[in-house]
Amino acid sequence: MTGQTPAGTDEAPAKKPHDDIAVITPDPALAAVERVADEAVEPVPSALQRLVRSSSIWTAGVLALFIIVFSILMPTSFASADNATTILSNASILLVLAVGMTFVIITSGIDLSVGAVLVLSAVVAGQQMAKVGESGTAVVVTALVVAVAVGLFVGAVNGVLVAYAKVPPLIVTLGMLGIALGTARILTKGIDVRTSAMENIDTPQGAVFGIRLIVLIALGVLIVGGVLLHLTRFGRYTYAIGSNAEAARRSGVNVQLHLVKIYALSGLLAGFAGFLSLAKFGTSGLSGHESDSLGAIAAVVLGGTSLFGGIGTIVGTLIGVFIPAILANGFVLLDIQAYWQQVAVGVVLVAAVWFDQYKRRSRNRS
Amino acid sequence: MSAVQPVLEARGLTKTYGHVQALRGADFSVNPGEIVALIGDNGAGKSTLVKMLSGAIQPDGGEILVDGTPVHLPTPIAARAHGIETVYQDLALALDLTPAANLYLGRELTVGGPIGRFFGFLDNKKMREEARKSFSSLGSIVQSVDVPVRSLSGGQLQSVAVGRSAAWANRVVFMDEPTAALGVVQTAKVLELIRNVAAKGIAVVLISHNMPQVLEVADRVEVLRLGRRTAKFKADETDVEQLVAALTGAFTNEPVTVGEEQAR
Amino acid sequence: MKRRLAVAIGVPALLLAATACGAGESSSTADGKEKITLILGQAGEPFYISMDCGAKQAAKDLKVDLDTQGPTAFDATLQNPIIDTVVQKKPGAILIAPNDDKASVNPLKAAQDKGIKTILVDTIVGDESIGLSRISSDNEAGGVAAAQELAKQIGDKGSVLFIGTKPGVSSVDARQRGFEKEIKNHSGIKLLPAQFSNNELAKANQVVTDTLTANKDLAGIFAANLTTADGAAAGLKSTGKQGQVKIVGFDAGPQQVKQLTDGSVQALVVQKPYDMGYKGVEFALKAIKGETVEKQVATDFVVATKENVSTPEISKYLYKESC
Repeated sequence: MTGQTPAGTDEAPAKKPHDDIAVITPDPALAAVERVADEAVEPVPSALQRLVRSSSIWTAGVLALFIIVFSILMPTSFASADNATTILSNASILLVLAVGMTFVIITSGIDLSVGAVLVLSAVVAGQQMAKVGESGTAVVVTALVVAVAVGLFVGAVNGVLVAYAKVPPLIVTLGMLGIALGTARILTKGIDVRTSAMENIDTPQGAVFGIRLIVLIALGVLIVGGVLLHLTRFGRYTYAIGSNAEAARRSGVNVQLHLVKIYALSGLLAGFAGFLSLAKFGTSGLSGHESDSLGAIAAVVLGGTSLFGGIGTIVGTLIGVFIPAILANGFVLLDIQAYWQQVAVGVVLVAAVWFDQYKRRSRNRS
Repeated sequence: MSAVQPVLEARGLTKTYGHVQALRGADFSVNPGEIVALIGDNGAGKSTLVKMLSGAIQPDGGEILVDGTPVHLPTPIAARAHGIETVYQDLALALDLTPAANLYLGRELTVGGPIGRFFGFLDNKKMREEARKSFSSLGSIVQSVDVPVRSLSGGQLQSVAVGRSAAWANRVVFMDEPTAALGVVQTAKVLELIRNVAAKGIAVVLISHNMPQVLEVADRVEVLRLGRRTAKFKADETDVEQLVAALTGAFTNEPVTVGEEQAR
Repeated sequence: MKRRLAVAIGVPALLLAATACGAGESSSTADGKEKITLILGQAGEPFYISMDCGAKQAAKDLKVDLDTQGPTAFDATLQNPIIDTVVQKKPGAILIAPNDDKASVNPLKAAQDKGIKTILVDTIVGDESIGLSRISSDNEAGGVAAAQELAKQIGDKGSVLFIGTKPGVSSVDARQRGFEKEIKNHSGIKLLPAQFSNNELAKANQVVTDTLTANKDLAGIFAANLTTADGAAAGLKSTGKQGQVKIVGFDAGPQQVKQLTDGSVQALVVQKPYDMGYKGVEFALKAIKGETVEKQVATDFVVATKENVSTPEISKYLYKESC
C-alpha cells in the first residue's frame, strides 16, 4: 500500500497524511485520467448497447423472421387480418398467464401450477355459475369472481409456502399442480363443466373496434401488469428481490410478504385465465391445459426475462408469447404436425436461454 | 478533556453463542463527524459488535447509547431510524437496479400525491436527480445513475454503496472492510469518500485489517481483543507496530479486571 | 425500453399490415386438386390413425389434396384453435371428429359461414345445422351388439357395468343407450350405474378396481372405447380377475388385440374408422362439387373374439398404428 508514513515519524502533520497519494477531486485532469483508468475495466454501456445486448431484441428478431417467412410462404392464409385475429385470440389466454409468470420469474422463482389453477378455477366457476342461472350478467359476474378468488387463494398458499416455509418454488408449485388438477377432477368426476353463457368474448358480435373482446381483455391485463412492474414500488421490489433478496431485506423491504403477493398475483391471473378459457371455449378443458405452465415459462424466458431473477420486461413477455402462438398457427397452415411445433418451441427456447447464459458469462464480474 | 458526547456508544456488551463468548463486556464509542477504525484479529468480535450497533443482532447484556440516551435496536430498520447505516462487506446492492434505485430502495419517492403514494407510483425522475446530487456532493464519480449497477466498476460499486449509506445516515455509517477488494486508485477514491462523509458531520466506523490504511484515514483507533476493548489510540499518536501489539495482546491501555489479566 | 415497445407494437402491426398481400384465394391448389383437411379427435390414437389411413387412400384414389391435423389430447380447448387456424387455409372442406358436442360448434359455424363444407366423422355436435353429413358407426347398434355378446359371455346372469368416456361425446352416449336398452331384455342381468373414464387409462383402471370392491357379483364390463377398454383390462389384470370378469371392449387397436389374444378381454366391437375416413373424403369432394350428400351415414361393425381375430375378414378391420 502506498501512502504509508514512515514508521516512527511522529512529526507527521496534524492533518491526515493523505497528501502522499493521488487525490481525486482537486485536479480535474488527474480525475479524467483516473476515470479513463477505471473505464478501461468496463465502460458504462450506452442505452443502445444495452438494448442490442438484451435478449428480447433477439427474440423479436426471430419472431419477425418467422412472420416474414410464413407470410412469404402463405401470403393469403397466414398474412390476413382474419388469421391475425385467430392468432391473437388464441394467444390471449397464454398472455394472461405469462404476465403473472413474469413477476414470479423476475423474483427468481417459478410457478408450475398455473395451468392446473386455470383448470380448477374454470371448474369451480363453471359449477357455481350454473347454480345462478343459464345466462345473464349475474351468471358472468359469478363466474369471474369465483374464478379469480380460487386463483388468488391457491396462489397465496403457494406464496406462503415459498416465503415462510421456505420450500423451493419448484417443489411448491409442482405439488400444487397435482393438488389443483386432482381437485378439479374430483369436483367434476372427470367430466368437463360446460357453459355457453359467455360466448361473446370471442365472437365478432362481441368485438369492440373490430377487435375480439378476449384480445382486448388480455391486452388490458398486459398494460396493467406493465404499469405495475415498471412504474410502481411493487414492481421495483420485485426486481430488487430477484436481484438481491438480502439487500432488499436489509433495506427494509418485507421480502416474505412481497413474495406471497407475487405468487398470489400469479394465481389470480391463472384464475382469471380460467374464466377467460371457460368463456371462450365453453368448457373447463380438464385435459387441455397440461402444457400451459411450461408454455408461459417459455414465453417469459423467450421475452428476455432471466430465470436467475432481476431482469425482465412486460414488453418482452408480449414478444415471447407470440413465438409459440405464431409457430402453432404457421405450422397448422403448413400442414406440419402439432408435435413438430413443440419441438420448434423447445429449440427456440433452449437457444434463447443459451444465448442469455453466454452474454451473462461474458460480462459477469464476480 | 473532551466534552463532546459520543454520538454512539456501547457499554459492556456481552453475547454468547453456545459455548463461545463472542463479546465479554465490549465497549465502544464514536464522536460526531469522527472516523474511528475498529480493529482486531479474527474472532475478536468486531463483526458481532458492529452487527449489534447496527441492529442486526441483540446483545445479551450491556447497553447501547445514541447521543447519550440508552436505546434498543431490535432491527437494522430501527437502527436506521436513529440515523445509523451500514455498508456491508458484500455491499448489499441489487446489481440489476440502477444506483438511483439502490439508493432509494425501501424508501422510494412517489409521484401523484396521496393516490400515487397509495399505489406506489415511482417518481423516477426525481430520484435520479436527487441521486445525482447526492453522489456528487460526496465527490464520488458515479458515471451514470441510470444504468444497472452491474455495469459499473468495482470502485464505483463501492461508491454507490457508501453513497447510499451516507445519504440516509445522519449519525453513523459503519463500513466493513470497504477497500478489501479494490485496487490502488479505487481505494484512494473510497478513502476520499469516507473523509467527505465525515466532513458532513456523519461519523464513520471502519472495520479494517489494513493497519497503514487505518492510520491514514482514521482519527482514532479502537482495538478489540477476545470480546473486549483492550486499547484506544489517536491515529496520529500511534503506529503500525503499536497497533499490532495491541491486537495480539502485548499492549493494552484499557483498564482490565484481575480475572482478565490472569486469562491472558 | 422505448425501442422494445416499438418493436413489440410492430409485431401485431406487421401481422395486420401484411393483410395488404391478401387477395381472394380459391380453395383449390395450383394443380386443380381440391383441398380437404381432416381434423382428428386426437392425434396418435389408433382409431383415428386408421381413419386417417382410409382418408389418405380416398385422397389418392380421388386425386384430392388431403392434410391431417389433430389435438394432442381429446379436448375442445386444444382442438378449437386448430379449427380456427385450418379455416384460415380455406380448404374446400373440413372433415372433423369434434371433441365436444357444444364447445366445438362455434368454430365450425365460422367455417361454414366462410363457405367451407363440413363433414362430421365419428362424433357429432348438438347443433343440427353443422355438418352436411354425419358419418359414424351406428353406435347404438354397436351398444346393442356389445350387450348381446357380453350376455353370452357371462351366461346371462350377474351384474354388468358400462364405462364410457365422458357425457357429451355423442358416439359413446349412443353406445350406452344401445347397451342399456338391450340389457333390459336380459332379466338375469343387473345393470350397475354407468361410470366414466374421461378417456384416460388410469381412470378406467381405477373405475374397474373400485367397482370390483363394491360389487362382488360383477360379471361383465362393457368398456365403450379404445382407451377405456385398455384401462379396464389393466384394472382386471391388476386384481387378478381377468378371464373371470368378462370384458367386451369397443375398438380394436393393437393393445386391444393383444388383450383379446391373451384373454384379458373377451370380445371387441370393432368399428370401421378406415371406412369412415374413406367415405368422409368421398362426401367432402361431392360437397365441394355442389352435389348432395346423405345427411346420416352409419358405418357398421364386426365383433372380434379370440377365435376369429386372425381370420382375414376380421383382421382387416383392426386399427393401425401407421398406414
